[in-house]
Amino acid sequence: MPPARYFTGLVTLALTVVGIVLLLRWIDTGSKVTGLPLRVEFRDAHGLRAGADVRYRGVVVGSVRTVQVSADGSKAVVELLLDDSGVDQACVNSPFWIVSPRFTGLTSGATGLDTLVHDAYVAFVTPAERGSALRPGSLLVGHERPPALLEPDTLEPLEHGDLLMSLLVPENHGLRPGAQVIYRGMPTGDVRSAELSADGSHVELRLRIHHQYRRTVTDKSVFWVARPFLSGALFSGFTVSDMSALLSPYISYYADAGKGVPVADGWRAAAVALRPDVQPSNVPAAALRLPDPTVAPTHEPLCLVRVVYAAISAHAIGADDAIQREGTGVLFDDVSGRPVVATARSLVDGSYTEHGWFGSRPAIVREQLRVVLSGGPVLGAGRVWVDPDGQDLAVLVLDGTPPDLPVTAAALFDRAAKLPPALTAQLRCAGQDGTAQPALEVQWPEQQPDLDACRGGALLVSDKVVGLVGQKGGRERVPVAVPLQRLPEDLRPAN
Amino acid sequence: MTPPFWEFEGFGLAHRRPDGDESLLADVTLTVPAVGFYLLVGESGGGKSSLLRLSAGLLESREVAPAMTGRFCCLGLPLTAGFPAALRGRIAAILQEEGLLDELSPRGNVELALRAAGRPRTLAPALLAQVGLEVGSDRVALLSGGMRKRLCVARAIAGEPAVLLCDEPTTGLDPEAARQIARLLRQSHDEGRGRTTVIITHDAAAFAGLADGVLALDRRERTLRLLPPDVPWRSSGRSPAAAELALAGAATLGLRQRLLQFAGIGETATEALLRLPPVELGQVARTTAAFVLEPIAFVALAGGVIGGLATFFALRNNPIHGGFETALLTGTGKVLTAVLVPLLSGFFFTARIAAGAAARLGTMKRNHQVAALWLMGVRPADYLLTPLVWGMTIAMPVVTLAGVVAAAFASLLATRLVSGITTVGWTTAFFHTVDARDVQTMLLKSSLSGFLVAATTYHLATGPKRSGAEVGDAVNASIVLGMALVLAVHAGLTFFVYR
Repeated sequence: MPPARYFTGLVTLALTVVGIVLLLRWIDTGSKVTGLPLRVEFRDAHGLRAGADVRYRGVVVGSVRTVQVSADGSKAVVELLLDDSGVDQACVNSPFWIVSPRFTGLTSGATGLDTLVHDAYVAFVTPAERGSALRPGSLLVGHERPPALLEPDTLEPLEHGDLLMSLLVPENHGLRPGAQVIYRGMPTGDVRSAELSADGSHVELRLRIHHQYRRTVTDKSVFWVARPFLSGALFSGFTVSDMSALLSPYISYYADAGKGVPVADGWRAAAVALRPDVQPSNVPAAALRLPDPTVAPTHEPLCLVRVVYAAISAHAIGADDAIQREGTGVLFDDVSGRPVVATARSLVDGSYTEHGWFGSRPAIVREQLRVVLSGGPVLGAGRVWVDPDGQDLAVLVLDGTPPDLPVTAAALFDRAAKLPPALTAQLRCAGQDGTAQPALEVQWPEQQPDLDACRGGALLVSDKVVGLVGQKGGRERVPVAVPLQRLPEDLRPAN
Repeated sequence: MTPPFWEFEGFGLAHRRPDGDESLLADVTLTVPAVGFYLLVGESGGGKSSLLRLSAGLLESREVAPAMTGRFCCLGLPLTAGFPAALRGRIAAILQEEGLLDELSPRGNVELALRAAGRPRTLAPALLAQVGLEVGSDRVALLSGGMRKRLCVARAIAGEPAVLLCDEPTTGLDPEAARQIARLLRQSHDEGRGRTTVIITHDAAAFAGLADGVLALDRRERTLRLLPPDVPWRSSGRSPAAAELALAGAATLGLRQRLLQFAGIGETATEALLRLPPVELGQVARTTAAFVLEPIAFVALAGGVIGGLATFFALRNNPIHGGFETALLTGTGKVLTAVLVPLLSGFFFTARIAAGAAARLGTMKRNHQVAALWLMGVRPADYLLTPLVWGMTIAMPVVTLAGVVAAAFASLLATRLVSGITTVGWTTAFFHTVDARDVQTMLLKSSLSGFLVAATTYHLATGPKRSGAEVGDAVNASIVLGMALVLAVHAGLTFFVYR
């Protein structure tokens, strides 16, 4: 035999011996493999196979070594081997369960559907209150079904500007944390928690509405728990509404667009017991217009807010008038460092714009004032000052301002500027969600802005705020430029 | 009292041929005294070689023996009813095809003969010097014709035989060399005390003045006579046509041939079992080492390719992408380790080793090396079959194990390439249903098929070989039959164990 072949044969033989030793070590129990061996007992192994994954938050952190029936035949004993990352997560109070396809009823829906096309696997979570670390070979009692999704961390995280509110419902109807909140058939938020009230009169749900949808919730919104609802009469035919809630109930709400003021965080509303007969309004004609090319929001030195005002003008004779206005305000810190909003008085004061009978003062009741900050957060507000000389200028203070509220720097104001009759300026307004809109060019008297769209909008000359768009004399529907120099000393931007 | 060398009494000898028996000797009654240097002369095809093969015990067990009548004894023991075991080792022969073992050195050939005769090996240089050979040359193939004959003489007299038979020892040599060989034979005859030497030759000149007597075989008269050495011998003419001499039994010849071949299978099987205790330990160790080391790299490579490809395609062509991977791995692991790789390793091993062994043994048979072993008193089964059986029975499971291990590691590699399963996960899944019984079954299947392939190869290769084509046929048959046996053993045992 040639020496080369002899050598190759010897090397292969040696490699075979090494390979056999290596494989035997691998096959041998987990004692020689790094990781933490565990035993978990289940009443039913759900077809779990050796070699299946062990997952923590969907990440494979170990594998199933054996699946055997216990000596007395009452349990299935699953031997796991957690690798190092799994060892870091598991503790004595971690619930382990087997993920396999299961349908747990109409209210809870189906879980483990991924295992329809994958092997069953073992999952575990670690509660916030961690127990002590597991010892090798520990015997744990596994859960027969996935633990209820009560873990706060299984819910979507909150984001800045999200509306957090309470909804009081007469009955829970199987709502669980994570259930959806639906507006016009679209998910706008979720249920964060559900608790029975102390006196047992209702169930209090904590809801979160995503910040981009928080304007859909107003004080006029009607809430109800959506579940399949059969309505109609024998001869008129039946209608099943909210059929989509068959598998999992959800919260639905509705309010006609343009009605009510946006609500602030902590708003409490009561849901109606039965599904109201809401008829969503038709799509407004304005929605058919092509949307303006959206401009990516940039960090603005100028902090604008959306100001929403609603009130009732009560009449002694005849129906009351509902007043609802929206416009822009400029947010800045006053001399005392308090955040205030300068805006048009016609926007925030019904008595300034409304008439009484025969020149009497109008009876303005149930005034509501909200300020929508850039990105969605809504704060309550109150008037602290209106121009005593009848100019269209007012200042609002905010309720519960967050500590890190960005405001317009004082250097951006030019209070000394005179506003000539022929004025050319940049007009900046806040959009519905409080974000600043692109600048518009305005020119008095030739190219005047639309009053309803731009009330309270900031007028800038050479990138400095010189005034606001107001209403001439309070009642004439003519836009005027109101100079900021009229602000009283203590409400001026701090220098 | 020394029994006579040959003793004929009403002896008749006939070749069996398909077209009828051909009578060579009829009613010969003759006594040839022991201790003599005889020339056996006669026409070609007259039965000289048959007498020699009869006397040396070289008749093929799987061929129909010549028909014999009367009595024929050698050294007082009858040869007509099979070769007596007592003569084995006492009769040496130098065949026309020398039958030198070319895998050994010239000295090794002599040493083997010495060892078989129970004499010390250290006598080999002296024996080689005695026949005029240098000790140094290390390869039989490099020897010239004259030197080969000298080596044959040395090997033949190494066992101090009582009888030395030589078939045409001077053929192919020039007169000078022929004369030297003749003198050497006479010289060694004189040195071997009490030895009888019979030389078949047509070269009377080379042996002129050396012989004590001439055994003349007359083909026409079908007689054998002992003549004094100085009487010039002359052929009495052409032999009569074979057809005239036809006796009987031609029709049954083919059937008898077939029966003998079947009996040969039983003979080989018996030999394989009875001669299992190794006599030639070195030969067994060398053969086993070669059978393990030669094919192991190839089989491991093949096993690796099979294991890797099987796993790769099982996981890659999974209709449920990424699903049930552990189940697929478990199935793949079981079929690879318990069935597929052992079977294919058996095939590869058979193709690689059985073919080589068949070619080697077939050539040895064709070159009369097997016969030479018999003549040296070395049982071919001990020297060839037992090493083959041990080698394959041990090597096939070892090599199969290498294939399986390589397949497993290739499967791990493929798994890591295709899916995200960890090494621990792979090990658990791949060997999930593989247990000690699988390994035992695998080793049993390999060992058993190794044994059967070895016996089959030996049987096919050591059958009568009259041409190179028959050697080629034996090689082909060993591969085909060996693979069929591997398949049968694997299929049968797999069914039996896992049914």
